[in-house]
Amino acid sequence: MAEVKVKLQLPDADPVEIENRIIELCHQFPHGITDQVIQNEMPHIEAQQRAVAINRLLSMGQLDLLRSNTGLLYRIKDSQNAGKMKGSDNQEKLVYQIIEDAGNKGIWSRDIRYKSNLPLTEINKILKNLESKKLIKAVKSVAASKKKVYMLYNLQPDRSVTGGAWYSDQDFESEFVEVLNQQCFKFLQTKAETARESKQNPMIQRNSSFASSHEVWKYICELGISKVELSMEDIETILNTLIYDGKVEMTIIAAKEGTVGSVDGHMKLYRAVNPIIPPTGLVRAPCGLCPVFDDCHEGGEISPSNCIYMTEWLEF
Amino acid sequence: MTQAEIKLCSLLLQEHFGEIVEKIGVHLIRTGSQPIRVIVHDTRTSLDQVKKALCVLIQHNLVIYQVHRRGMVEYEAQCSRVLRMLRYPRYIYTAKTLYNDTGELIVEELLLNGKMTMSALVKKVADRLTETMEDGKTMDYAEVSCTFVRLADTHFVQRCPLVHATENSDPGPPPPAPTLVINEKDMFLVPKLSLIGKGKRRRSSEDDATGEPKAKRPKHTTDNKEPIPDDGIYWQANLDRFHQHFRDQAIVSAVANRMDQTSSEIVRTMLRMSEVTTPSSAPFTQPLSSNEIFRSLPVGYNISKQVLDQYLTLLADDPLEFVGKSGDSGGGMYIINLHKALGSLATASLESVVQERFGSRCARIFRLVLQKKHLEQKQVEDFAMIPAKEAKDMLYKMLSENFISLQEIPKTPDHAPSRTFYLYTVNILSAARMLLHRCYKSIANLIERRQFETKENKRLLEKSQRVEAIIASMQATGAEAAQLQEIEEMITAPERQQLETLKHNVNKLDASEIQVDETIFLLESYIESTMKRQ
Repeated sequence: MAEVKVKLQLPDADPVEIENRIIELCHQFPHGITDQVIQNEMPHIEAQQRAVAINRLLSMGQLDLLRSNTGLLYRIKDSQNAGKMKGSDNQEKLVYQIIEDAGNKGIWSRDIRYKSNLPLTEINKILKNLESKKLIKAVKSVAASKKKVYMLYNLQPDRSVTGGAWYSDQDFESEFVEVLNQQCFKFLQTKAETARESKQNPMIQRNSSFASSHEVWKYICELGISKVELSMEDIETILNTLIYDGKVEMTIIAAKEGTVGSVDGHMKLYRAVNPIIPPTGLVRAPCGLCPVFDDCHEGGEISPSNCIYMTEWLEF
Repeated sequence: MTQAEIKLCSLLLQEHFGEIVEKIGVHLIRTGSQPIRVIVHDTRTSLDQVKKALCVLIQHNLVIYQVHRRGMVEYEAQCSRVLRMLRYPRYIYTAKTLYNDTGELIVEELLLNGKMTMSALVKKVADRLTETMEDGKTMDYAEVSCTFVRLADTHFVQRCPLVHATENSDPGPPPPAPTLVINEKDMFLVPKLSLIGKGKRRRSSEDDATGEPKAKRPKHTTDNKEPIPDDGIYWQANLDRFHQHFRDQAIVSAVANRMDQTSSEIVRTMLRMSEVTTPSSAPFTQPLSSNEIFRSLPVGYNISKQVLDQYLTLLADDPLEFVGKSGDSGGGMYIINLHKALGSLATASLESVVQERFGSRCARIFRLVLQKKHLEQKQVEDFAMIPAKEAKDMLYKMLSENFISLQEIPKTPDHAPSRTFYLYTVNILSAARMLLHRCYKSIANLIERRQFETKENKRLLEKSQRVEAIIASMQATGAEAAQLQEIEEMITAPERQQLETLKHNVNKLDASEIQVDETIFLLESYIESTMKRQ
């Protein structure tokens, strides 16, 4: 009996077939496949053929090469994205990837340079290119107004970059904050007034003069003076400024988890208060507010005898 | 002694005692304790005058003397005591509110004379009171002594230290200066005097309708030559006790502003109960049980025990932290945190000055840094919700006026500015001292302006005094209305107007001095209390 040499002619030894197989696998595992998985699927293909196929797919822009802690991962690229990058070269793709990774916080051009190791001129050219293709956009950071961060075109910038509810177009809205300030204070003041007038026993009086941050938030929302949606934290920052104005005091009480407005088992209560002393004696004299106080001495150009502020003050 | 304090002392001494005393006093304040020969030499005044000036100063408790080794006596001026002269009107007013006119006059006489014996004091006050009363009525000595005893019991007046009576008569030469000692127990002990008599009116030149008072007058005006029973026992005003009273007042009014009237009454009761038990410089009062407080409440306030307990709990829980709970026996033991209260009052004064000088946004930044202790530039902007440019401007302005200071925290050993954290912080003690210095200078300015205004119109004042004297004498000798009219017209209408303005200005400046003194009191008490704790 002659030895039958069976030469296995595998149907998918064809490079195109290998590529298609790999693409199928990628579709199966959208998060990415390692080299090991490909090897398991097609054990009869040599490493070299596999490498050629993968390289071809990468250069055609159909596969993404990622590095994970286990090794290299191959991921199918979005067909949409694949179309976008058609005209770009590898450097642009690299820069684009870095910007994409930065998410909605954006990334500064110097950081892009560090990550990609490309020279500055190249980076600038690529960034201009990408911007003209409307793939990325530059957002001015509110922290440092000269700094521009880049992020993908369709992403919403993060709060830390735009400043949140208090900033509109990088401008701090002081009047808005002032109006909110006054409204909150008026609300707390009327609450304290009604509590004082109720003339019940002092415990109840005091407890009813408190308002939780949730109540104030609801009141402000109902007032409708804000075009932007305000969260409870925003209202708390406004109430904190009232504390720093000395008009309001705050206590924290433990509250059950389920009660309205409680955060992590405690609630913040606010109450309008009066200052503990009237304006102090020094400021009732002109010397207390005098801008040239240090230059004033008897016999000089500015002296108590010829002080114009005193003359005006005495005429009241 | 800072320049501002010395200037203020010199102005006060000059106003109250005259040029020579002022020269000696200022010299002593500047140079510390000196023997008399050096004073004579340095101030180039005669020994006689120096002696008299020192007498005056010692009588008013402004200068003390000590016997040093080698038998030299050195005199030392007490600058802080001189500055208390600003507060005399406030002391007198307090005595008036507590003890009516009698108390007011007693304290006034004591302050004006420095030290007095009780009998002399009582006599003088009775005379003064009698003058203000209607004809025929006189003030009884007993009433005045009674008020005096009450003042001594509540510690508002105290005995001066006495010459130490040596049991065995020393055969050697007497010491160059006596050492004065006072026993703690005897400080407020009133000697048993039986002062009988009535106040005397000054002999007026009026004729009385009835001849009887005329006949009685010669009898009364004979001086009694008996020796005064309490010779050697001198009394002075106890300024510390007045200060304690002012402090209590400030705390009570702060509580009334922050909470309501009833809470402030409760705090007042607690303070009253600890008046004599707690020394004035203690940081806390003695614990008081709620039962005791309930019993000591003023009669008009009938609140039930539960309500009192509720008020006490509210006071103890308040963020102000003036009242604290120290135990549960006797229905709850409560203390008043005096040091904290003074700190809050001083801080409130600082905040009010910042607010009036720089604006309410600056005040917001100031309170923010005060609460958070240390903050970076960026954090200040975020917390205070003030645009970055304005916040920076305000912080630098306050920094230049020394209300806020910078704390540097370097990241690298070479302290490079780009790699250092700069934190803003408020040091209350140093800011209080800075403000205190400013207060002294302000009062000196106000006094100078007052003197200037008076000097400007000296001619007018003299003229008006002359006219008044003429009118008074003419009225006494009986003149017609027409003549009086003529003389009054010597002062023209614009001049009268000027006099009115002058009076108004001088009063306003005077009032302002007292107001600035209130700030001085709060700041000084706080600084003193803090220094004692360290």
